[in-house]
Amino acid sequence: MSIFRNLQGILTQIPFKYNAIYPVHMNACLIRLLSYVPAEYGPERDPAPLYFNPEVQSLLKSLTRVNLDRVFRKRKLGDKALEIPTYKFMTDEQLQETIEEAKKRADELLQMPPVVQVRKPIDRIIVKDPALQGLDSSRHIFTDVSFGIKDSDRLIVIREPDGTLKEADWAVRDRMNQLYFPKPCRSLKMPRLFQEEYLSNLLSHKEYIFVLDRACTQFEPDNPDYQRVTSITYQHINDNDDFEILRSTRHFGPLAFYLTWFKNIDNLLLELIETAHIDNANNLLQLYGKIHSVQYNTQELQSLEGITEYIKTAAQKKGPLELAVQAYKDLERQRNELKQGIQVAHGLA
Amino acid sequence: MAVHVLNIVKSLQKLTINSRCRLAPTLHKRLIPELPTNEVIFANTTRNSTNFFNKLPAEALWKGITSVSNAGKKRGRGKRVSKKNIKDLNRGQVIGVGKANIVWPGLTAPIIRGKELVEQQKLPEDPEREKKLSELRDRMGNIRHAKLSPLERGWSGSKMPGRSIGPPDPIGEDTFDGFDTKVLELKTVFNMKGNFGRKRRLSVFVITGNGNGLAGFATGKGIESRTALRKAKNRAGQKLMHIKVFRGHTVFHDFFTQFGKTKIFVSQRPEGHGLICHRAIRTICEVVGIKNLYAKVEGSTNVQHVAKAFILGLLRQRTHEEIAEEKRLHLVELCKENGYFPKVLASPTSCRKTNELKHDEVLDFTQYCLDGRVILKRKTFPPFYTKHRSWEIYLKKQEKLRNHDKVRVHMKAEYGELRSFLTEKYPEARPAKPKLKSEKDANEEQTEN
Repeated sequence: MSIFRNLQGILTQIPFKYNAIYPVHMNACLIRLLSYVPAEYGPERDPAPLYFNPEVQSLLKSLTRVNLDRVFRKRKLGDKALEIPTYKFMTDEQLQETIEEAKKRADELLQMPPVVQVRKPIDRIIVKDPALQGLDSSRHIFTDVSFGIKDSDRLIVIREPDGTLKEADWAVRDRMNQLYFPKPCRSLKMPRLFQEEYLSNLLSHKEYIFVLDRACTQFEPDNPDYQRVTSITYQHINDNDDFEILRSTRHFGPLAFYLTWFKNIDNLLLELIETAHIDNANNLLQLYGKIHSVQYNTQELQSLEGITEYIKTAAQKKGPLELAVQAYKDLERQRNELKQGIQVAHGLA
Repeated sequence: MAVHVLNIVKSLQKLTINSRCRLAPTLHKRLIPELPTNEVIFANTTRNSTNFFNKLPAEALWKGITSVSNAGKKRGRGKRVSKKNIKDLNRGQVIGVGKANIVWPGLTAPIIRGKELVEQQKLPEDPEREKKLSELRDRMGNIRHAKLSPLERGWSGSKMPGRSIGPPDPIGEDTFDGFDTKVLELKTVFNMKGNFGRKRRLSVFVITGNGNGLAGFATGKGIESRTALRKAKNRAGQKLMHIKVFRGHTVFHDFFTQFGKTKIFVSQRPEGHGLICHRAIRTICEVVGIKNLYAKVEGSTNVQHVAKAFILGLLRQRTHEEIAEEKRLHLVELCKENGYFPKVLASPTSCRKTNELKHDEVLDFTQYCLDGRVILKRKTFPPFYTKHRSWEIYLKKQEKLRNHDKVRVHMKAEYGELRSFLTEKYPEARPAKPKLKSEKDANEEQTEN
């Protein structure tokens, strides 16, 4: 028992009863406000090995399309007053150096949140001691708070009033970890913004970045709530074609991965073709091929072969995609004609 | 009968309007037998005696009580008297109408009404008349100016400096659209001449501008404030200058400027900071279109000098392109909100290499803009009470309260009320609500009963 340097205080009879606290909201939650069914990365297949694969990461990064001006956009930092900017005289070399440094910082800022399988519920009884039955009217939680242990490895056990000693479930683990080792900006209870009625309101205002950032700080990536919130947000973005809002943020990679994983890339592909980003469209198909082990001819990043192949075989929105490809081809032809015309006018051809 | 009427008319013609004039006794005598005796109220009371009040005109009488001699003033006399108290007692008085309500045919009533001759008669006294007169007199003297709305007020009360007087008058077809003029100074000036003596005039110093980098200032003089303001405003409209405003809200760089003994240190500030400076500088900034800035005036704060120094400084500002060209280096902005991403504000046509920089060169942007001048920043000392033992005691006592406000807000958000962990089991475990005054009174009454 020497490990348990600290005994968790006795929980009273009424700890964190969500139902008792929000009777009204629980009723309201019964009515589904959003028409989205959250899709989790379930136990059937683990996305982590694929997602952390360097090739996949680089594909996701190229899909993110890093624009430094957007990465370093003006943010509201919660300060009372804006800081006075500093001005510096720089030579070319010094300027390049600072830009390089900024790029490194951008890489850090754009580090994508991990995509992992949803965690399995903990239900392990260590020992049953009927002799301890009725020793106390409430349960005891024992937390190992020794230094240098990861939150995920920390030993947290519960002694029930009936004498059972069991491992704490995830809700208790999260609470204890936050209690003893608080993470900044993470609250002990889930904020109401992640409840569907409030979430739908936020999403209708297109506050995607806020929701995703807040979810990253509040939850661990294997938390079912995290996967629910992100999944609903991604679906909302996909249905409203708001991909541009997430570009150059750390959330675009997970979004693209999510859509590809659940074979729902048609809207994103359409947007990429319409905005004439054929290389990105091919990247997306490469990713699709990697995840679902299909082969499309996407070696040449500017060619439309792989795309037409995908449209024929796997696309759900065939009509709009074919039209977009046709429109792109027309545009390309016109551009070439114009180019040639200019060259003729200059007497070069 | 006709002769009778003629006589009356003649007699009335002789009556003068002057109340002091007495009726000729002859007329009086002549009329008595002919008029019905019971209604005669013809003669006025005479004022034969001379006294203080009928010897001097009203003007002299009033002067006597509302002024004080120069020598007396020096001794501090006559502080409460004022020319404002002078009242015109003739106002509201009508000739022929007095305390005794008498009908005077030919003066206050027609002589013949229909076919009847109007007779002179005494009517019952009008009690309202006196009251009306005194009311009228009470209203005299205390003229109140209409109260200015807070938006129209200047720097101080209803005084002119700081107040807006509208755009300069249009010249022909050229109108000053979007311009606004603000008064910076209004003062009395005197001119002494051998033949004219001391002449008093008003001097007005105004600034006009369109809030978008175009501004001009001027003085105007006149005997009346209105003419002086008009002159100054229109002259200012003729002296417009272009002023560079950085991103439409502040100055391009920190600078130092001086006019006479007035020295001003001006520094750039980010958006939302506001104008923290001398009120004259603030007014100029409002008119020019600068919204954020800090300025410290050292030396004389003569408004005209402050204005001139500040505008001189604004005009001497250099744009970032000029500075970069002069220095032959890139000018880069680093800002916290942008995550310190280097934003190039201006680049020279040819940039110097790092090894070309001189070892003693000023590379600090602020230093460069202030021409090597260093602003003296006084050290701020902690307040005296932090050394007292009572301060430590206070801090100790505050320690346990330090998060109460946050907890309060959190509980309100979470449960909609302040509560303890026992509230669910024992509903009385809630903070006592402050009683309303009406409830308190009701309770007290009940206890008394």
